[in-house]
Amino acid sequence: MIAYRSIVKKIILSVLLLTVVCFDKQVLAQDGKALFQQNCASCHAVGKDLTGPKLAGIEERVPDKKLLYAWIRNNQAVLATGNKYFTDLYNQWNKTAMNLFPNLTDEEIAAMITYVNTEAAKATAKPAPGDTSAATQAQQSDNSLLFGILTLILAIIVLVLMQVNSNLKRLSDEKDGIPSYEPVPFYRNKAYIALFAVILFIVGGYYTIQGAIGLGRSKDYQPEQPIYYSHKVHAGTNQINCLYCHGGAQEGKHANIPSLNTCMNCHMAINEYAGEKLYREDGTEVNGTEEIQKLYSYTGWDPDQKKYVNEPKPIEWVKIHNLPDHVYFNHAQHVNAGKVACQTCHGEVQEMGEVYQFTDLSMGWCVNCHRETKVQFTDNKFYSIYEKFHNDLKNGSMDSVTVESIGGTECQKCHY
Amino acid sequence: MNKISIIAVCLGALVFSACSDIKRTPGKAYMPDMQFSRAVETYSDPRELQAEGINYNARPVAGTISRSADVIYQHLADTTGRYITSSSLRNPLPYLDTLQTVEAERLYLINCGICHGTKLDGNGPLYKGGDGPYAAKPATLVGDPLYEAMSEGTMFYSITYGRNLMGSYATHLTPKQRWEVVHYIKAKQREAKGEATPATAPADATAPATDSTATAAK
Repeated sequence: MIAYRSIVKKIILSVLLLTVVCFDKQVLAQDGKALFQQNCASCHAVGKDLTGPKLAGIEERVPDKKLLYAWIRNNQAVLATGNKYFTDLYNQWNKTAMNLFPNLTDEEIAAMITYVNTEAAKATAKPAPGDTSAATQAQQSDNSLLFGILTLILAIIVLVLMQVNSNLKRLSDEKDGIPSYEPVPFYRNKAYIALFAVILFIVGGYYTIQGAIGLGRSKDYQPEQPIYYSHKVHAGTNQINCLYCHGGAQEGKHANIPSLNTCMNCHMAINEYAGEKLYREDGTEVNGTEEIQKLYSYTGWDPDQKKYVNEPKPIEWVKIHNLPDHVYFNHAQHVNAGKVACQTCHGEVQEMGEVYQFTDLSMGWCVNCHRETKVQFTDNKFYSIYEKFHNDLKNGSMDSVTVESIGGTECQKCHY
Repeated sequence: MNKISIIAVCLGALVFSACSDIKRTPGKAYMPDMQFSRAVETYSDPRELQAEGINYNARPVAGTISRSADVIYQHLADTTGRYITSSSLRNPLPYLDTLQTVEAERLYLINCGICHGTKLDGNGPLYKGGDGPYAAKPATLVGDPLYEAMSEGTMFYSITYGRNLMGSYATHLTPKQRWEVVHYIKAKQREAKGEATPATAPADATAPATDSTATAAK
């Protein structure tokens, strides 16, 4: 019985040991990537200096494996021994203290270093991304010119044919003995002049009226900005909320252009652009990394020293959406109480490389929206004082409340 | 033939002028004195004021503080690094009720979520498990003992002044909103660990030291 017991014990123990060993192996093989992201990645990257130095080539820089492992586990202890390389490194990085990782095992550290080495090798082996999509972009814009030339050629052919026709008619008339009048040139032909006058009146009138209506409106206005800032990259690809940068839209009248520190929240770490290719409206290619460098020149940030060295100067963005001085418009009212999405008035900004004015911002457009938009009346504290409407909604004598019915088309709402 | 060439040139000019559809200028204004404000508006160019001999400086007067910002000035020197002296600060707001949690979550998702992730796992769309443009791994707010042990005061100071590669969010969130977000993060951490939110408000320093935020602060 006792012998059995010891055998059972041994079996249990060995099974336990086996599982531990297996699990350990799993940790080892279980990508250094996960360990790296869990422990190191908030301050270190493989090929880029962040809060701490980049880790590519770390084994060449610190050949002593024991020392390196000791440093990773407890950097303060290594510093206390007065190691020259690490002391210099520490001073070079503004004495930013590295976190302690006393619980990392040798295998775990080895796995992480293997991950760093493979990533570094991958980065050097990767060829520069080829450009294939440039040609297709250029082809699209030339169609209107082609159509214009075609129209021109057809018009000339029509004129020539008309000339030929009249000449042939005259010839046949002469042959038949019908006396031919001295041909009246077309600029003295009354029918032609009348037709021309009517056409001129219609076309000219149309353009005059359109031009007059368009005065002070700038739909599709798409100025060139001092930095090619792509909303498509920021709000589209990277899903940054509109209110992250334009937080003023929920606070007050203006949506606000973000100050430079907002840009630097991310661009302290993001100093190059590696996404899909960017093009200006005229088809020229944009170098995203260069545009980020422009931001650094405005903020005075030195990416090598990782601090602000120069005097900052504001970026003079070109304002696109302008309302006349005699109109009062408040973003906060529309965003908070009205719960209007940004895209309703500004269009799909997250799809725009260069922002353009989506709507004409005319009074007709404002009033039309106020007439048609149904106010979100329930669960909206802002409208809790409209007792009659709430009662009407409740007993069904009214199915929805538009902005107009709460005074949204009164002159004084916007003009005072 | 001469007339035909004139017509051709006119038509050609029309075609060419209609060619470009990129509008780089805003167009003409009807009555510009009613269109453009004479009063100084938000985006008026301050240099125009200087040209008129008006002294204008966009900076606040030295020594003035916002009425809501008093708490930042309790540890005025503690503006960089690990915010150790500020770790004793307690969240002045009572625990969030349901409505306030919705608001705090909204603020978190707008300002923090892009890096720290909607699940507070440090994997927002900017990092995307290492594939996003942001090279540094954002802090894992839920699931990392380092951040679960971080005190509310240190969190508040990290949001206010920035930490490591994270910038300052003082311009994005008011002090009250920052405390709300800190409450939200702490609540999410408690939720992940299966702890209940204490019913009583932690409002002042005399609050019982047994509540979970107080233990986390140590």
